[in-house]
Amino acid sequence: MECALDAQSLISISLRKIHSSRTQRGGIKLHKNLLVSYVLRNARQLYLSERYAELYRRQQQQQQQQPPHQQHQHLAYAAPGMPASAADFGPLQLGGCGETEAREPAARHQLHQLHQLHQLHLQQQLHQHQHPAPRSCAAATAGAPAGGTGALSELPGCAALQPPHGAPHRGQPLEPLQPGPAPLPPPAPAALCPRDPRASGACSAPSVPPGATPQAAAAASAPASPAPASSPGFYRVAYPAPSDFGVHCSSQTTVLDLDTHVVTTVENGYLHQDCCASAHCPCCGQGAPGPGLASAAGCKRKYYPGQEEEEDDDEDGGDLGAEPPGGAPFAPCKRARFEDFCPDSSPDASNISNLISIFGSGFSGLVSRQPDSSEQPPPLNGQLCAKQALASLGAWTRAIVAF
Amino acid sequence: MAGAGGGGCPAGGNDLQWCFSQVKGAVDEDVAEADIISTVEFNYSGDLLATGDKGGRVVIFQREQENKSRPHSRGEYNVYSTFQSHEPEFDYLKSLEIEEKINKIRWLPQQNAAHFLLSTNDKTIKLWKISERDKRAEGYNLKDEDGRLRDPFRITALRVPILKPMDLMVEASPRRIFANAHTYHINSISVNSDHETYLSADDLRINLWHLEITDRSFNIVDIKPANMEELTEVITAAELHPLQCNVFVYSSSKGTVRLCDMRASALCDRHAKFFEEPEDPSSRSFFSEIISSISDVKFSHSGRYMMTRDYLSVKVWDLNMESRPVETHQVHEYLRGKLCSLYENDCVFDKFECCWNGPDSAIMTGSYNNFFRMFDRNTRRDVTLEASRESSRPRASLKPRRVCPGGRRKKDEISVDSLDFNKKILHTAWHPADNVIAVAATNNLYIFQDKVN
Repeated sequence: MECALDAQSLISISLRKIHSSRTQRGGIKLHKNLLVSYVLRNARQLYLSERYAELYRRQQQQQQQQPPHQQHQHLAYAAPGMPASAADFGPLQLGGCGETEAREPAARHQLHQLHQLHQLHLQQQLHQHQHPAPRSCAAATAGAPAGGTGALSELPGCAALQPPHGAPHRGQPLEPLQPGPAPLPPPAPAALCPRDPRASGACSAPSVPPGATPQAAAAASAPASPAPASSPGFYRVAYPAPSDFGVHCSSQTTVLDLDTHVVTTVENGYLHQDCCASAHCPCCGQGAPGPGLASAAGCKRKYYPGQEEEEDDDEDGGDLGAEPPGGAPFAPCKRARFEDFCPDSSPDASNISNLISIFGSGFSGLVSRQPDSSEQPPPLNGQLCAKQALASLGAWTRAIVAF
Repeated sequence: MAGAGGGGCPAGGNDLQWCFSQVKGAVDEDVAEADIISTVEFNYSGDLLATGDKGGRVVIFQREQENKSRPHSRGEYNVYSTFQSHEPEFDYLKSLEIEEKINKIRWLPQQNAAHFLLSTNDKTIKLWKISERDKRAEGYNLKDEDGRLRDPFRITALRVPILKPMDLMVEASPRRIFANAHTYHINSISVNSDHETYLSADDLRINLWHLEITDRSFNIVDIKPANMEELTEVITAAELHPLQCNVFVYSSSKGTVRLCDMRASALCDRHAKFFEEPEDPSSRSFFSEIISSISDVKFSHSGRYMMTRDYLSVKVWDLNMESRPVETHQVHEYLRGKLCSLYENDCVFDKFECCWNGPDSAIMTGSYNNFFRMFDRNTRRDVTLEASRESSRPRASLKPRRVCPGGRRKKDEISVDSLDFNKKILHTAWHPADNVIAVAATNNLYIFQDKVN
């Protein structure tokens, strides 16, 4: 299908539609917004992939000293679900770790984060599409590779998400992608920082039982993933080797370059670039890289966009739970952010990222101007770190509450 | 295929020559939003044709009896009754305005001299009784001829009122109001073959009602997830089987149809049959989910088949085969390359309806540029016709139209880029027995008939 619009325009158009639907006569149309969210998800997958590729290319230009063949190895494109053995590139990957200091730190950091974010997204998608629904799996897995099963099974929560005072989050250990009793999206943000099992010492994350279910998700992803080698080039993703970035929180993804048929195993990083590093994002108002990011120094704090101001308000403000302690302290902040980012502004890259972040952090809140009084208010109300929301692609793209 | 051949009617839309018969509605260029027709439905006999509009009004047309002296005005439809069915409301609890737009009208089978129909907006279903009054009582004792009460002390004699003929008056009165049962927007209503119950469907739930009971309804399908963040699909249409009163189907935004049997359990969350055609992975795009969403589902009159309409195609399914449809007809495949712009202008969300003819040998659905399409299931031929004022001379034959997908445009073809996407035909209806069709084009209702021999 030829499309004159690129992913960014589609995203901004979709967000505009969602925004205007709130003021339409007759109330929010659940069906239409659901469909728009699917477009948004598809476009965002592509957008993230393209950003990733662009950042990687930028970073590649700085790697002039690398031997050519190694660079070639790193230029990988994600195939829609073509897992391959990680062992093929073991030595190269590990070897990359030692060269982290040689990289330009900012780009490395950004790529690292973007990659981790994307990986998290993939994991969430795979988790949420546990049964092979052809269409949804095609959309979900097309944008990112299905990782090796070993990688997906190890998704401990990152220490970045620990509450500032070390108290367990919500009174229970952080658990990634627990499909168990709680529905997926609320715990999902806690699982944004999958940890490299090899680097267990670097992070003080609570250990998490791998659980049968993440593995089930991984296993289920296997039948789902080979689905579309379909739209070649449509969901191209370039994944650099995040092990270059000195990752300490990561898991593995194996990708196949559709063009060169090169297989690369990739460590995932954490995305911060699209969120709080940007000066546009007042949520982490200070503009500095947010706390608790997957910097090599280790993640100690739970990451929230408004962490700085929320902390004073409420010790428990770090609650990522499904039952937010009330949207009141957060909703105004959220709305203010939204006001600042009128979706009609021209969609440049960082603006789109921020729009996504903002919408992501409170999509259901934005759509449901007045929550249905007779129904349980939706979770994820303004509590989320925008980055976490961005990672929980599957969750918020379907997070529509009509009333 | 099943379905008795219509008495004397040749099958389908292509052996016939369709002619213009009538057009109802204003000619103005400026169309008021309230005048836009939102639903069209023939009654069981085909003598009555009801339309609902965005302003909450219902207009019923009645077919004139054939007049020997004027053979050409065979069965013209004239206005029979007009009434305001729904008014705009405001939900104070949720601060939401409830549109008065009539989403669906369904006739009840006629059981006495009066006619009954169900009309629904987003939230409330109403049962209307349409009855005729052609006599008037005169000679009351307690009131004057003009209705004023008489002073009881002035009454000195009693008389029996007598009935006098009067000009025919058609009254519409609401007999039942079925309200407060739907949290989400109602998209379908369907009368059961038992003539006692009916169902109403919104985005996430389907309720079963008894026509006599307004304060209670039974929820038979509920697809609302515990966590709305996990919502992946909504109900887009639902219909009860025309013959089996325990069977109904509902379609989803994911392009699937579920058939449920109410005998199986009280809550029909588990389907008895699941109709889905696997997606072609090579046609995946940004908009795959949108164009696969089913906008309408209709059983055939025989009850053996059902038809689904998604954005680009219409599919006929055999109820005995769930894996794929038995027929797929492309309505406007040339739009596949235009999905981006159609998404921008919201056209991709248009909900087209479809309908069967009486013998189930042909199906019809609408398109853009006031085009509508007919597919003959027997001859496998299809035709594109246009509802326009230009071809609105009485008994003028409709000329088949052709859309040129791209490249060189032949004579008489219209190119895809010239299509007017504001002129969309979403609602069409086919007379249950004759070859008479009603096509709603924005605020105009066109009626076409086959050529009188």
